[in-house]
Amino acid sequence: MVEENSCVAVYEEHLQAETAVRQLLEEGFDAEKLSIVGKGWQREEHPIGFYNTGDRMKLWGAQGAFWGGLWGLLLGAAFFWVPGLGAVIIAGPLVGVLVAALEGAAVVGGLSVLGAALYSIGIPRDSIIRYETAIKSDQYLLIVHGGQSEVERAHDVLATGDALDVTIHLS
Amino acid sequence: MNPESTFFTESTRSLKQSALFSELADSSIADILSRCRRETWKRRRQLPMEETWKRFHILLSGRVRLSRSNPENGRMITLFLLGPGDPFCIFSLLDGEAHDVMLETLDDVTLLSMPMSEARQWLNEHPEFNRKLLPYLGEKMCSLAGLASDLALHDTETRLARLILRYVDSGTQEQHVTPRLINDLSHEFLAEMIGSVRVVVNRQLQHWKQEGIIDAHRGHLEVEALQELAKRADNHLVKIPA
Amino acid sequence: MLACMQPRSEMDIKALLRHTPLFEGLDGAVLDEMLSHFRRETWKQGRRISEQESGQRFHIILSGRLKMGQINPDTGRMVTLFLLQPGDAFDVISLLDGQPNPVILEARDDLLMLSTPMQEARRWIEEHPAFNRSFLPYLGQQMRSLANLAGDLALHDTETRLARLILRHLQPEAPGQPLRLIHNLSHESLAEMIGSVRVVVNRQLQHWQREGVVVTRRGELLIKELETLLKKAMQFSRHTP
Repeated sequence: MVEENSCVAVYEEHLQAETAVRQLLEEGFDAEKLSIVGKGWQREEHPIGFYNTGDRMKLWGAQGAFWGGLWGLLLGAAFFWVPGLGAVIIAGPLVGVLVAALEGAAVVGGLSVLGAALYSIGIPRDSIIRYETAIKSDQYLLIVHGGQSEVERAHDVLATGDALDVTIHLS
Repeated sequence: MNPESTFFTESTRSLKQSALFSELADSSIADILSRCRRETWKRRRQLPMEETWKRFHILLSGRVRLSRSNPENGRMITLFLLGPGDPFCIFSLLDGEAHDVMLETLDDVTLLSMPMSEARQWLNEHPEFNRKLLPYLGEKMCSLAGLASDLALHDTETRLARLILRYVDSGTQEQHVTPRLINDLSHEFLAEMIGSVRVVVNRQLQHWKQEGIIDAHRGHLEVEALQELAKRADNHLVKIPA
Repeated sequence: MLACMQPRSEMDIKALLRHTPLFEGLDGAVLDEMLSHFRRETWKQGRRISEQESGQRFHIILSGRLKMGQINPDTGRMVTLFLLQPGDAFDVISLLDGQPNPVILEARDDLLMLSTPMQEARRWIEEHPAFNRSFLPYLGQQMRSLANLAGDLALHDTETRLARLILRHLQPEAPGQPLRLIHNLSHESLAEMIGSVRVVVNRQLQHWQREGVVVTRRGELLIKELETLLKKAMQFSRHTP
């Protein structure tokens, strides 16, 4: 079960998100408590890509080199086609949450499947809409899951970096 | 909060709409925001004040109540019901001490949060803010004093009528009004705002409904006859049968 | 009803105010400047007026105690919101928000005070932001005491409220000594501080006397069994079989 407190940072560039992930790891944060969400490059519509929730992502074909650095740091990765958002790549514990949402465990009215996943980890609706917009405009979400003091500490680390904004979500 | 943040404009707008912060210069608001982080709290989040009093919060959306409870008899009393633009907790901002208050969100809330020491420093650096802060404190003190007097001096019907009137814009000529902030609260919650219990509030509201003073259905409260309700708030000649 | 001033030197007043939470931090020159705006005023014990009748003036108490409360005109019952003592100021609420405050003021003792028009006090505070360093904590304390009163009224029975009232006014170093601030108050006055009536407070105190928890000597309430009173204030003992 993923904890229902989180700290979410939004980045313009994948490199900034990657730097932030490394910074968190240096500060002693657990890689298994970090999730990343970004937009994939696929144009054609897939109902769903594929997901694995156990292994570290190794290679993503042509995009592997591009994503490798960032995604290789995190556990579990998935590639989804989310109606309304398009291709979305997710790594970290959020994958499991999203899979649960896909399998119907958490259907929340009016939200995309990504939104439903974010909702189930304690992020309120109006924030979700903002995050979906961020994804649509090719930005990246870095999510730190944890207890209140952990996500507060994460905020302090991330607030000094390149994030467009950082928000703490408590429930 | 970073000025480039997508939430910066939105937070500025929220502060500009609040009575307390509306007259601040853009630069002063930017100064507040630069010291703040943004948080969201889920509905029904409860936390004892000792966990929050070291930080200063400004509510941007949603409602929060500050209350006290008696664990022995399970009773609860709401001291403050806060809405967008309200800061908390002003007790600790003022005297820097922890205190016996419980905090609970009634909705999903968005808020700004900064260390109490930063808030106090900001206050020192912006004496012009006192022109708004002092009247605000006066209003809050007045409402606490009103609560205490009502509890000591008035019966439940009067207290309930006064509670509702406190959330109706004064000076309105309309007979039909929707109270602010409290119109969707449960009877239990209303009871906790006047030091009563659910069944009593429920019975009173039913009675007023029969009299055509209010309309209440499924967690929604409307005043139908404001004049009559005001009468109930002031005099005690009209008693309901037990 | 304004009586003539008792002769009391400026030095005395300054020495007194220096030991009060509101004014202790003020620079000497600022304090002098402030005092120049005030006039002296005395009220006889028992004087009871509404806040409006007090002439929209801001007062600082130099000696004596003042009750500030509200009355239910239908029942005549009064509740004391604040019992103010030397160094306290009133009416803070109407100073802050500029609205008349529907309270009753009653001199519990002969009062010696300083007073200035509300408007003047407001202007002075605006011009001296440094005053806020002590004014804001003072407001915090006032609010806290109101919160205590409201909380107790809604949550606790009379016995618990009375025990809590007494404990809040204990001399911290000398619990057996006369109480701070509420010493030698009548049972009626005590009742007004906890939203009760004289007979109930009277009965409760007699009961505690028989239990040996408190003793009354020359109108002073003295505590004999602090532990027991603490238990009553926390309501521990009540529901345990």
